[in-house]
Amino acid sequence: MLKGSRVEQGRDIDRIEMNWPIYRLERSKDVHAKALEIENLTKVFTRRGRPPVTAVDNLNLVLKTGEVVGLLGPNGAGKTTIIKCVLGLVRPTDGKITVCGWDARRQHSKAIEHTSAVLEGARNIYWRMTPRENVRFFAGLQGHDYRAARGYLEELMERFSLADKADEPVLNLSTGMKQKVAVICALARQTSLVFLDEPTLGLDLETSLELRKILRDLARNDRRTIVVSSHDMDVIQDVCKRVVIIKEGRIVADDMVENLLAIFRTRAYRMVLSDGLSPAIREELERSVENFAFTYRGKHAETTFTLPSSEKLYHVIDLVRRGGALIESISQDEPDLEEAFLRIIREEAGALERPFLANSKAD
Amino acid sequence: MNRWIVFKSIFTKTIIEMKRYIFDTISRLITLYIVFALLFFWARAIGWVAFQAGETLEGLVVGYMVWMLAMLAYQDMAWNISMEAKIGTLEQLFLSPAGFTWVNISFLLSRFLLNLAFTGVMLLLMMLTSGYWLHIDLVSLIPLIVLTISASYGFGFIMGGLALVFKRIQSSFQILQFIFIAFIAAPLSRFPWVKYLPLAMGNHLLRQVMVHGIRLWQLPPADLLTAAIVGAGYFLLGLAVFTRCTGVARNRGLLGQY
Repeated sequence: MLKGSRVEQGRDIDRIEMNWPIYRLERSKDVHAKALEIENLTKVFTRRGRPPVTAVDNLNLVLKTGEVVGLLGPNGAGKTTIIKCVLGLVRPTDGKITVCGWDARRQHSKAIEHTSAVLEGARNIYWRMTPRENVRFFAGLQGHDYRAARGYLEELMERFSLADKADEPVLNLSTGMKQKVAVICALARQTSLVFLDEPTLGLDLETSLELRKILRDLARNDRRTIVVSSHDMDVIQDVCKRVVIIKEGRIVADDMVENLLAIFRTRAYRMVLSDGLSPAIREELERSVENFAFTYRGKHAETTFTLPSSEKLYHVIDLVRRGGALIESISQDEPDLEEAFLRIIREEAGALERPFLANSKAD
Repeated sequence: MNRWIVFKSIFTKTIIEMKRYIFDTISRLITLYIVFALLFFWARAIGWVAFQAGETLEGLVVGYMVWMLAMLAYQDMAWNISMEAKIGTLEQLFLSPAGFTWVNISFLLSRFLLNLAFTGVMLLLMMLTSGYWLHIDLVSLIPLIVLTISASYGFGFIMGGLALVFKRIQSSFQILQFIFIAFIAAPLSRFPWVKYLPLAMGNHLLRQVMVHGIRLWQLPPADLLTAAIVGAGYFLLGLAVFTRCTGVARNRGLLGQY
């Protein structure tokens, strides 16, 4: 897990790599302030003989053009259903979806001019055809003449290290390469909004890291609005600037990745004590902090917690002193998105709502 | 939205797939030819008493050709949709700004052209084998073929659409091919209502053109109209069922499932 490394790299989006294939936002209709607006989206699946399933529950979301957003949530949270509702592959039960100014339900063919997706990775391409043939086909499916788009498409294949294998049937390529072909086939459609649903699913660690690097470069250099949906926090933390956490069809958190990490970084502590604490002191400690955990490691005791506010730390230290234990070490926990995510997903999410109200959604 | 580019892409893909599956295509050609040869020589050997009174063995060649075209057309539509759903690309096809209907029509037209070429080769082989040199008047033939086979595409759409919603239905795909034989062989002259069956009237008219050399405009207008209405009718019915099934699939989120 890349703890903190993404923040270290810096998010200097003005630094555009000169050899990254340029996606042109030529058509004026592409440059719409809001790439995507979802209002009160609800999707209920009815099944014969079984109770209905609410996959998406009155969801509201706005994405600005150029944002790189992660949809994070466990399997079955509704991420894919949301994406498919936007694309028109699933009919919503209720709600309004606007893609680059077009109503996704009433003006579907217009809306679909502006959005593309990788949905099931390598299953979204034709294995009997070569990468070049696939790219050419999907670009054409979107109405792009290959001759006009050729330059950009060839550059894309270069960028994704597929140039050597461009004329080899996809069937013969490695899993990672197949996945890359699927991604460039979506990019080849040259839409201003792109969805990547579980782009690293099924890939081994090395291939996943490689693809993540490419996606990171893409996010940094391409001017499109990109939505990455995953249950893998590493991918989101690596690639996205903003993350929307989905649970049971609802948004439970929506903030910049940095902010989510910052909340926990400044206030997550780990303390190793020389001794245990009496039950009374332990109880009081537990009441003063959040996300309290206490374990014994041999003679020592270790406790981790999050402070509701920074000055509470003095109170904690005081409690330990009264309890007669010595502080062997005290350190700030370096959280990663997984911890933040897990904590949010658990029912104790209520405690975090205060920080989210305080932090406005930075643009 | 340039629909012509979309069509070209799909046509190119169809050609590529044909080339990649060329072995399958050739073996299919051989199989169909062998079946014809057996059928023909058996029919001649037993002194063929034609189902259609007064018709000769030449009618058999025409009937076989029509059956082949119908079968290819039906298979294309029924299987293609299921196949795309199975491999996972169906959703991507749905994402074309030209619309899913246009994508299917482009596919239909592309495959039709290939099937015509395939049938042309078969026809040549059949004529060589049988010794019957039929009248190949393309101006009369092509429109009639289109009218006749439209019904078959309609069936293909119906089965393809139903397969989107009810996955099990694929096991009954094959049966319809044999029902086509019944349609073609049905005695038109004996039972007037037969002309409302798919393929029946079309086959009859094609026989007039290919065996007796009658030109398109010399055919009875009433018959032509019947063939047109039957063909268009089943085609539109198929399209309607397909559209409805796609809607249900979208409601239930079935497009991506197999």
